[in-house]
Amino acid sequence: MTDASVGRGAIRPLGRVFRISPDGPPLGTVMTFLTPALLVYLVFTAYPVLRTFYNSVHILHPRAADEYVGMQHYVQMTTADPTFWVAVKNTMIWAGFAPLLDVGIGLILAICLYAKAPFARFFRIAWFTPVLISYVVVGILWMWIYNFDWGILNGALRAVGLESWTRAWLGEPDTALVAVMVTHTWKWAGFNMVVCLAALSALPKEVLEAAELDNCNWFGKAWFVMIPMIRPTLVNLLILSLIGKMKIFDLVWIMTQGGPLWATETVSTYVYKRAFQWQTFDLGYPSAIAVFWFFVVLVAVMALKYAFRQRDRLEY
Amino acid sequence: MAVVKLNGLSKRYAATAAPAVDNADLTIEDGEFMVFLGPSGCGKSTTLRMIAGLESITGGELTIDGARMNEVPAKDRDIAMVFQSYALYPHMTVFENLAFGLRRRGFDKAEIEQRVTKAAATLGLSEYLDRKPHALSGGQRQRVALGRAIVRNPKVFLLDEPLSNLDAALRVSTRAELIRQHRQLGTTMIYVTHDQIEAMTMGTRICIMNGGRIVQVGKPLEVYENPADTFVARFLGSPGMNLVPSTVIRSGGGYAVKFGGTDLVIPMPDITDDDVILGIRPEDISEDASEGSVSFQGNVDTVEPLGADTLLLFRVAEHDAVLTARVDRSFQAFPGQSVTLHINSPGIRLFDSRTKAALMRTEPEDA
Amino acid sequence: MPHSKAITRALLLIAISLYTAFSAGPFAWTAMLSFRTTSEISKAPYAWPETFRWQKYVEAWTGSNYDTYFVNSMVITVLAVLVTTVVGAMAAHCLARYRFRGNRLIYFIIFSTIIFPPQITIIALFQTLVDYGLYNSRVGLILVYVSVQLPLTVFLLEGFFARLPQDLFDAARMDGYSDAEIFWKITVPIGMPAIVTTVILNTVHIWNEFLYAVVLISDESKRTLPLGIQKFMGDQLEDIGMIATGMMIAVIPIVIVYAIFSEKLIQGMTAGAVK
Repeated sequence: MTDASVGRGAIRPLGRVFRISPDGPPLGTVMTFLTPALLVYLVFTAYPVLRTFYNSVHILHPRAADEYVGMQHYVQMTTADPTFWVAVKNTMIWAGFAPLLDVGIGLILAICLYAKAPFARFFRIAWFTPVLISYVVVGILWMWIYNFDWGILNGALRAVGLESWTRAWLGEPDTALVAVMVTHTWKWAGFNMVVCLAALSALPKEVLEAAELDNCNWFGKAWFVMIPMIRPTLVNLLILSLIGKMKIFDLVWIMTQGGPLWATETVSTYVYKRAFQWQTFDLGYPSAIAVFWFFVVLVAVMALKYAFRQRDRLEY
Repeated sequence: MAVVKLNGLSKRYAATAAPAVDNADLTIEDGEFMVFLGPSGCGKSTTLRMIAGLESITGGELTIDGARMNEVPAKDRDIAMVFQSYALYPHMTVFENLAFGLRRRGFDKAEIEQRVTKAAATLGLSEYLDRKPHALSGGQRQRVALGRAIVRNPKVFLLDEPLSNLDAALRVSTRAELIRQHRQLGTTMIYVTHDQIEAMTMGTRICIMNGGRIVQVGKPLEVYENPADTFVARFLGSPGMNLVPSTVIRSGGGYAVKFGGTDLVIPMPDITDDDVILGIRPEDISEDASEGSVSFQGNVDTVEPLGADTLLLFRVAEHDAVLTARVDRSFQAFPGQSVTLHINSPGIRLFDSRTKAALMRTEPEDA
Repeated sequence: MPHSKAITRALLLIAISLYTAFSAGPFAWTAMLSFRTTSEISKAPYAWPETFRWQKYVEAWTGSNYDTYFVNSMVITVLAVLVTTVVGAMAAHCLARYRFRGNRLIYFIIFSTIIFPPQITIIALFQTLVDYGLYNSRVGLILVYVSVQLPLTVFLLEGFFARLPQDLFDAARMDGYSDAEIFWKITVPIGMPAIVTTVILNTVHIWNEFLYAVVLISDESKRTLPLGIQKFMGDQLEDIGMIATGMMIAVIPIVIVYAIFSEKLIQGMTAGAVK
């Protein structure tokens, strides 16, 4: 005894897509608003990307026509350039470990503040500060911290009688990469902390109270309730951090310029060196590396997106 | 002062989809308070937006005072609209919000000042003119939204669920305020709502829509008493009309429908099919016999005391459905109990079992 | 039980304090260095300044070209942020408010640039700017910065603009606003909180930017602060005191912005990552 004939009509009133003009706007209006952005995008993003692809299959002679060489650069890069592989290895090590470090520290700090620490607001602002400081300043500052003679790290080791542990942290191939990674984490931990804190604060209080009734201490609450519940945010942060590490240039360039002995060479610094420092005047070869790396980043992002596709909505 | 006429007005978003508004015919007389009532998605808001000019008309014609409006842009239709979310400009003060539409239409300063002051006074907003919307209460914002329409002195007022963001008490007082404003201004108003109480109390006529179509237009009580189909019967009234499938039989010299083992005599059998749907309003079933009432046995399912009266949910033999009766608050019963109830015969309505349309009207014979 | 709770609390506080020292200590130290001469520093690198040598800032400003670097950074940042904001807001408004074929496609194309590593464009940008005579020019750098900051700006603003109630725009239309007026008089004033966020965010990013600047600028007179500091570091490796002063000159404007807008800045920086 229901009104089958007059149930719900197949009508969609206005959905999320808004309109100003009744029948879609005139093309001119849309173009007026979009043209500046599209122009900037075409000239300074789309065209350079295409040109890099073009470069990568040419040798660019400074005063002669470009010479088409097909896949030669790619072959050379993958088979005859050990430095390139060192750069890839270093970047991979960085991208593999540093995100865990960044997000892990950020998460622990966030939980500390969430546990009703006094002056939480002050600490939040203080810990976020390194995020805002330019890589140049951060790099120089940490070069001083790592200085063999008067840097505070060696100073501290000497003060506690660990004289034998002191070293030129950035000057030795064994420690240089780790030293730069620590600096990078120092800069970014605060960012991860703030994001984790925001995610924690958005959790419903009742769930944590329920956990308390289930006899969870702080560690239990963090491990069994908070971390699983903010997992999407953590995944997001890991991916963001990973993308950042794959692009890394500034800090390495300031602190070590890839040295010593390629110990901190990353793909970005190597591209920069080959393009602008080695005076080879060939922009084709570094372009090939850039294209190769572009696809590696793309594949990495898509693979992660795929791996977490159902459970988490990703944003960058 | 205006007559708004919809001639086969239609709205289709895509060529393939079902129309959002299908061939609506309606004339809204000058000074009328017309309420569009229907469930969400029934096309009432789309119709209003077409009248406003915010939505293009894909079929039919809209006229105001005889002039075709289809192609006239919203700003030139001399229509004012009160939005559900009020749509106050948050970066302007109350005064600026009220004055804004006038400024845009080139009124001179003194005229604007005078109109705004007057409207603000009628709406009790005079002391808030310097405030920004965020510093106002919900009710005050609502009055600013109304004021913004009033100062324009438009031909037609459109109101899109303007009370739905107010709390219950405020809604009642604002309802009264709107009725008063309409009486004072005498302007044609078109009011969209899904709340039947607003529709019944405010409308001079109501227009009930469902699935993009106009189902029934009429004075509130007329529509309530004689719903055009089972949808209206169910939608109006809280709870709605009881509807049960039944059969028309010949009984003696006249006709009757079967109900719970009794025969309800009906005056006029304008039917092609013996199967019908029988409709009875809960208030037409009572625990006391009255003149001409027919009694039957019901089996109590639930008793819901509402305070003023009591809802009795019960079952009758031969029917699957749970029916509702509105009985006196002193009535006592317990679940499972068998009770004798009485149907007030003039309240009986019949609907076609196939088309769901109303079949006949049992006018009270001796009234 | 209360006893163990107090211990937990104390441990928590100690951990927090240690991290704060780790995170803020280096700055406090740089700030101290910036008031001391290099010879004072070499005697005792971690001592409190005996006398605050404010004149070092004057020296850095006038004697070591920091005035040029600072003005360059200021001009480039202000102009790039201005253009990015206007261009980005227009695009975001259009994408948020108008329905047209290709809307989501354009949004996706602009947005996907965020994941591009900069080296995919940097070499060709260098070539392109050389071709058009924009290499080693502040205008060229500004345009590049606009293109780099545009995706994030459009992303943040579109998200905010799309949440403004449609009724407001309908009301504006009934009041006779044109499309341009709707943008300037409705979207921009009402979207101001989001616009301010992107302005601050872009200001910090561009002020600190190093890679594009180092590739696209070569003249001493056109260097921005990060380039200038790096250059000074290369030339005067031992002059720690002066380098520290230069670093503080670069950091102070950011600290001021942060002091005023800390909440907004944190919101903006993390907006893309928080769900």
